[in-house]
Amino acid sequence: MGIVSAIGNSLEENRAALKAGKCGMSSLEMLQSRYADKMPFGEVKISTEQLKEKLHAYERGLTRTSLLALQAFNECLENSALDKEMLRSKDTALIGASTVGGMCLTDEMYKDANALSDGSEYLSSYDFASVDLYLQKRFGIKGIVNTINTACSSSANAILFGAKLMKHGLARRAIVGGTDSLAKFTINGFNSLQILSPEICRPFDEKRRGLNLGEGAAFLVLEKEEDCKGKTIYAELTGYFNSNDAFHPSSLSDQGEGPYLAMKGALTAANLRADQIGFINVHGTGTENNDLVESIAMKRIFEKVPDFASTKSNVGHTLGAAGAIEAVYSILNLKYQELYPGLNFTSPIPETGLMPVSSYKQKKIDHVLSNSFGFGGNCSSLIFSKA
Amino acid sequence: MLYIHHIFCVSPQKTLSQPDLETLNDLQENKLKALEPAYEGIPVTVLRRMGKAVRMSVGAASSILKTGIKPDGIILGTANGGMEDCIKFMIQIAQYDEGLLTPGNFVQSTPNGLAAQLALSQHNTGYNITHTHRGLSFENAVIDASMMLREFPSRSYLLGAADEISTYNYNVDFLDGWYKKENISNKDLYGSNSLASIAGEGAVMCLASNEGENAVAKIVAVHTIHGEDEEYVGQELRDFLSRYCITQVPDLFISGENGDNRFQNFYLQAEKHIHEETGILRFKHMSGEYPTASSFAVWLSCYLLQGGKIPSHCIKRNGGSSKPKSILIYNHYKGVQHSLILLSAP
Repeated sequence: MGIVSAIGNSLEENRAALKAGKCGMSSLEMLQSRYADKMPFGEVKISTEQLKEKLHAYERGLTRTSLLALQAFNECLENSALDKEMLRSKDTALIGASTVGGMCLTDEMYKDANALSDGSEYLSSYDFASVDLYLQKRFGIKGIVNTINTACSSSANAILFGAKLMKHGLARRAIVGGTDSLAKFTINGFNSLQILSPEICRPFDEKRRGLNLGEGAAFLVLEKEEDCKGKTIYAELTGYFNSNDAFHPSSLSDQGEGPYLAMKGALTAANLRADQIGFINVHGTGTENNDLVESIAMKRIFEKVPDFASTKSNVGHTLGAAGAIEAVYSILNLKYQELYPGLNFTSPIPETGLMPVSSYKQKKIDHVLSNSFGFGGNCSSLIFSKA
Repeated sequence: MLYIHHIFCVSPQKTLSQPDLETLNDLQENKLKALEPAYEGIPVTVLRRMGKAVRMSVGAASSILKTGIKPDGIILGTANGGMEDCIKFMIQIAQYDEGLLTPGNFVQSTPNGLAAQLALSQHNTGYNITHTHRGLSFENAVIDASMMLREFPSRSYLLGAADEISTYNYNVDFLDGWYKKENISNKDLYGSNSLASIAGEGAVMCLASNEGENAVAKIVAVHTIHGEDEEYVGQELRDFLSRYCITQVPDLFISGENGDNRFQNFYLQAEKHIHEETGILRFKHMSGEYPTASSFAVWLSCYLLQGGKIPSHCIKRNGGSSKPKSILIYNHYKGVQHSLILLSAP
């Protein structure tokens, strides 16, 4: 696994920050926007130029979204047992996800798209696939390569798709993940929907005022059990399910049908009872709508809702990267048998009364459920189990 | 791999209802714009909010869905989704200097909006996914559908692809050298011997299942390749042919030739590996070039496998068979993303 987020540039840094209950939210320093100091963001505090130098990535047209992906991808490879030959083998798949792609360069794209310039160096970099096409070329990947965009559940679906390729013999191993960087495009988009919180987000709190946007990337290597002998196994992906809420383009239904079906389906796929789930990494954006509906859906499934928390209170909502980042965090929960606190919580939502884990604790857990819900009703849940 | 039922295509040509392919609609300003159907049963206010990619998807899917079929999920490929809305939102950001903006364009700009809109209109809570891998978005959607059908053999899925010509992608791709600078007629596309191609758009929607009965065609195999090296791509093609096309030589080979002389060699090389009795057809003069154009070729294949007449303007080389039973499509996008799709009569 490899990860970069507002609370760290590596797996180790992220785990230490989660344990310490660190909040990565701040004013914008890398990206210019009129909202830079008006609301908090989960920004990675390395400039795009610094990333290029650090990663020795000097190709023309490289965007911050691709560079964050490369940072996480490199660490993922270092921590994995994949050698160059395996990486370039025809049965190694690469499945990525992004909702911003090269649109992080909102101003450049605006000029190019309106033909107000002779063309910037980013003409081939604006779409979602640009990230994975870059990684494919840089690392010479020959298996199936794909990019998924289901809004905020994109990289959960990238993990799900990679697992399916392996299950059906279309890949022997898959590198799966997602990336997004902060962009004027998304900041203004979510702001126009009035769901950005002017203060640090408070997932599942009665007085929550919206979400904070973040940026980051994470990648994971999926391998079959029979190929894992003698290697470090972080966890097993035992269940996954994708469903659609089919209610509204940008909000969830009152009873949380999509979230309910996603969680229920993942449990069935994993062949687990609800009471076997030891922890839930909830979607928990901190918006009025999401946290209430997610609570209702959890209460429909769990007689007693297990320990849960939202790591979006640490890193913000990283959109296309969120599913992969939270998969990494869920796997850390399992690997180290520990739970990290949800931050900024004081009082529960009156209708549902659920309270997230509020302090670091060690706990014996066998299965972690990770939720990702997106615009367009795209809901996906993953279950990771102790290896 | 999977069977196709009820396939519909919204394109620059008369493909939707009672196709008339012999008459070739010409392009305007080097853009082949899709002919939109009358959208029955959709309120004008709703229609006005939809971008063209969404409208085309709904237009192609509605003929399937109005039969009362309830697919178990929706699997789409689109490189960009609603890009016109995307740029409209960017214009808002620039014009109002990130001030108070209206969210409509932002919500419509997300590419999963196509599959979301279809799910919403059908109250379809099943599997729902959007593949956005540029020139292989549709192919990845087909691969996904085939895996879902292997896992759930009695189900059916709405499978399709759509991309629109927007101000955004036309200008960006034009500046990047992907569209011809000189005005040409699409009739002359293949003889143009110049850089770049012409812009196109469209949507194809079908119902995919494991049920062979009453199917219009079977997708036998899909293979995707990433690479710029002709030799490597050629080897992949030979491997594919020896794996799938030995016992049944395809009656037709549909080539994604697009008039761009820089990348013509991939197609010429592919033709060399094709059996001499296999007829060769081209389609980009009908559809234009766009990331999910291979879905148009799949629609065309289904039309021909059902006994549709081969439009004379598509023929590059006549084949031995007048009633095709097997068709191989080879396409590449921008010389990097290649695909092979093999179809047969059900």
